[in-house]
Amino acid sequence: MAALQSLRLPAKLTDRLSTGWLNFAVLFLILLPLVIGVGLVIKSLPLLEQASTWKMLSSAEFSPQQGHFGFYAFIMGSALVTLLSFVLSAPVCLLAAIYLTEYSPAWLTQTMYFVIDVLAGIPSVVYGVWGVLVVVPLLAGYVAPALGLSTTGYCLLSGGVVLAIMAVPYMLNMLMEVFRSVPVELKEASLSLGATYWETIKWVVLRKGITGIIAALSLGISKALGETIAVLMVVGNVAKVPKSVFDAAYPLPALIANNYGDMMSVPLYDSALMFAALLLFVIILVFNSITNVLLSRVKEV
Amino acid sequence: MQNRKILEEKFFLWLMRLVTLSIILVFLFIMGIIIKKGFHAMTWEMISQEPKGGFYFGKGGGILNAIVGSLYLALGSTFFGLLLGLPVALGMNVHWITKTRFVGALRFLLDALWGVPSIVFGAFGFALMAYLGLRASLLAGIITVTLFIVPIFIRAFDEVLRTVPEGLMEAAYSLGANKTQIAFTVFFRQALPGFITAILLAFGRGIGDAASVLFTAGYTDHIPQTIQDPTATLPLAIFFQLSSPIPEVKARAYAAALILTIIILIISVVSRLSTRRFKKNIL
Amino acid sequence: MRIKSFIAILLLGSFTAGLVSCGGKKTKNVTISGAFALYPLGVKWTEQYKQNAPDLRFDVSAGGAGKGLTDVLAGAADIAMFSRQLTPAEKEKGIWVFAVAKDAVLPTFSLNNPLADLIRKKGLTKDQLKEVYLSGKTNISWGSLLDTAATQPVVVYTRSDAAGAADTWADYFGGKQENIKGTGIYGDPGLAEAVGKDASGVGFNNVAYAYDVTTGKKRPGIDIIPIDQNNNRVIDPEENFYQNADSILQAISDGRYPSPPARDLYFITKGKPTNPDIVAFLKWVLTDGQKYVKEAGYVPLTDAHIKEELAKLQ
Repeated sequence: MAALQSLRLPAKLTDRLSTGWLNFAVLFLILLPLVIGVGLVIKSLPLLEQASTWKMLSSAEFSPQQGHFGFYAFIMGSALVTLLSFVLSAPVCLLAAIYLTEYSPAWLTQTMYFVIDVLAGIPSVVYGVWGVLVVVPLLAGYVAPALGLSTTGYCLLSGGVVLAIMAVPYMLNMLMEVFRSVPVELKEASLSLGATYWETIKWVVLRKGITGIIAALSLGISKALGETIAVLMVVGNVAKVPKSVFDAAYPLPALIANNYGDMMSVPLYDSALMFAALLLFVIILVFNSITNVLLSRVKEV
Repeated sequence: MQNRKILEEKFFLWLMRLVTLSIILVFLFIMGIIIKKGFHAMTWEMISQEPKGGFYFGKGGGILNAIVGSLYLALGSTFFGLLLGLPVALGMNVHWITKTRFVGALRFLLDALWGVPSIVFGAFGFALMAYLGLRASLLAGIITVTLFIVPIFIRAFDEVLRTVPEGLMEAAYSLGANKTQIAFTVFFRQALPGFITAILLAFGRGIGDAASVLFTAGYTDHIPQTIQDPTATLPLAIFFQLSSPIPEVKARAYAAALILTIIILIISVVSRLSTRRFKKNIL
Repeated sequence: MRIKSFIAILLLGSFTAGLVSCGGKKTKNVTISGAFALYPLGVKWTEQYKQNAPDLRFDVSAGGAGKGLTDVLAGAADIAMFSRQLTPAEKEKGIWVFAVAKDAVLPTFSLNNPLADLIRKKGLTKDQLKEVYLSGKTNISWGSLLDTAATQPVVVYTRSDAAGAADTWADYFGGKQENIKGTGIYGDPGLAEAVGKDASGVGFNNVAYAYDVTTGKKRPGIDIIPIDQNNNRVIDPEENFYQNADSILQAISDGRYPSPPARDLYFITKGKPTNPDIVAFLKWVLTDGQKYVKEAGYVPLTDAHIKEELAKLQ
């Protein structure tokens, strides 16, 4: 609207115009999640009317041609791959964040910021490419045989590894912010009482930052839950509850992405996929809301 | 007792160093493979021609369709995302600065939206498309990606705007400026590097995301001529062509991956540089 | 000032880029989407047809037969390439079906398989294939299938997208795509690639993706599992037609290869096509277009069949 002003319109007019536009934009934004939610619910209704919601969430049988829409295998697939990614990435991020905020030289921390930036920006499909080229053959050719098992490589573990790497930049970034927001005075006080630096970190910094840590971890979880493309390229897409990390799995987002093509041709399939999208939407909104509530507590200090 | 403490500290220190190092190594590994594979595939033909003989199949040609398509899509979505997001971000920091509960609720809402996965936007976009009678096209893709990147842009820009000192606003008011002038001239100028970073961030997410365009933008061998045409995009070019046994088709996927990665690298570097450069005018 | 002009240029640039396409040339567009099976032929036809109608632009994309149907029903595509039969529920939606060519789905195995020669000599019977693909058992050993001591279990790969090929292959055993139990890979080319990489892998592909039609040879990494139709555990000369693209196409044409998994390929539209450009294109496909069918790696329709289909267009 600097442009508008350079047109030498009276300031009052530009003020009114842009305020009007402002109000429109914010209204749009507030309505957006509502519209998305309502839209998804409407499209899911035909399915919800047909079968009981509980049954759909707990049945593992998914054969759309026969009208069976059990989402249990997908929910478990999502849950397990996210859990795996969390287990692989959370300790890594915690340790690295502590190191980068407390111990490392400034040049290293600056470099890491750049690394985090780029890692966060790499499109998920590129991670998928890397997963297919590196992780899948690694698991199929080396890791599984070393444990006496065999796998195609397209399995839960591949998905977990790829998701873990994708979640790292987000978690690491937030953790670093959290640790840096711990007041210096607290650390100084602890040190002056005779604690070592490490002890200070263990007992003071981590304690103080616990809400922030939980927020960061929850962010990592929600990122992993929602990831679609990278995971579908490596996870095997088999609609069964995986029994081992070397079994294939089928997370919810992959279900939607793979099968939207079949949507209109099988009755109720489109509702089923919209229901899956709705599930995802709700779960992630809840997770993110928790994260934000926790974060606001951290920032208040 | 002292020794145990010191040992513990040393142990963890080395563990942390190791972990940080491995993150860097993984980063280099990923970049290395993409660059290596993409480099082999990169020829002048690759970036200047559409695929010949069908993108799944044909051995000739390149990925110009995806490059141009993605640029159209990302620029269009960034533009509309700006249109919607800029006023809201500025509004949260200028017009409604006194309505803290409203702004707080708005931030909460935006943060929640920020985390919604792009596949949900894609599914919603598809439903919207069907409802509006749109075909899989550049238009449908732009709409979907705009919705996806608006929260990202607002959140990023808002973070920067919040650091602008309130005193600036008060000074401007006392000079007789109205809210619009304050927002768009004063605050904007102060936050310019943050604005650039936020735009670039939104652009980067928009151009690289596959799930939101999978259902909505279609795919084709041609460069779109109207906004109603289906369009190829770089992420889908990778996704569709990667798993082909035909080496020439795979090569196109690697080239597209390299281009996307280079775009992201450029974005990261430019945002850092602009932050440094424009700091001159900042208080 | 400089900042203002910088912003103005940025916005203007994006705006232009976003809308430059808006008032583009007025070429008429036809969108074709659907089965990987028909994709190479679809591309070939549209490229050839351009000479007859230079102001018509075709956008051909493959995403699986199911996607083609979804797109056509949603109005997102004009024609869908379809590689299986419509289900009764689908037929109710008023779809118009035109057969345009024939091909087949072939079972595949990896060239890295140490028992490759034996597989070629003995093949697998229909019952064995049914057990491998549909039973979901992960412990069927190659040895048990070929009467040797090999203990490597067979690893089944199938399509993760809604595929006509998968449905047709399952149809051979009386099932549907969802009855095939295996690791789901996206797309026909992807499936061939996955099977090639896994020495114990088996999958299935359309002829055009199993063979390279320009050379006639099989694609790198995979080979075809010969079907032992008379169950004598040997591939007799009359069962052995998998050497190259020509031989398999001939076998499909004269019925030596079972049908299913040989099948008709279709173009489908939502309701009877009324757009004159589309009708003209479809007529061309059934007449002049048929001469490109063979060189693209498919089996042309019989004359009688063509007459039937043409009648539908009147």
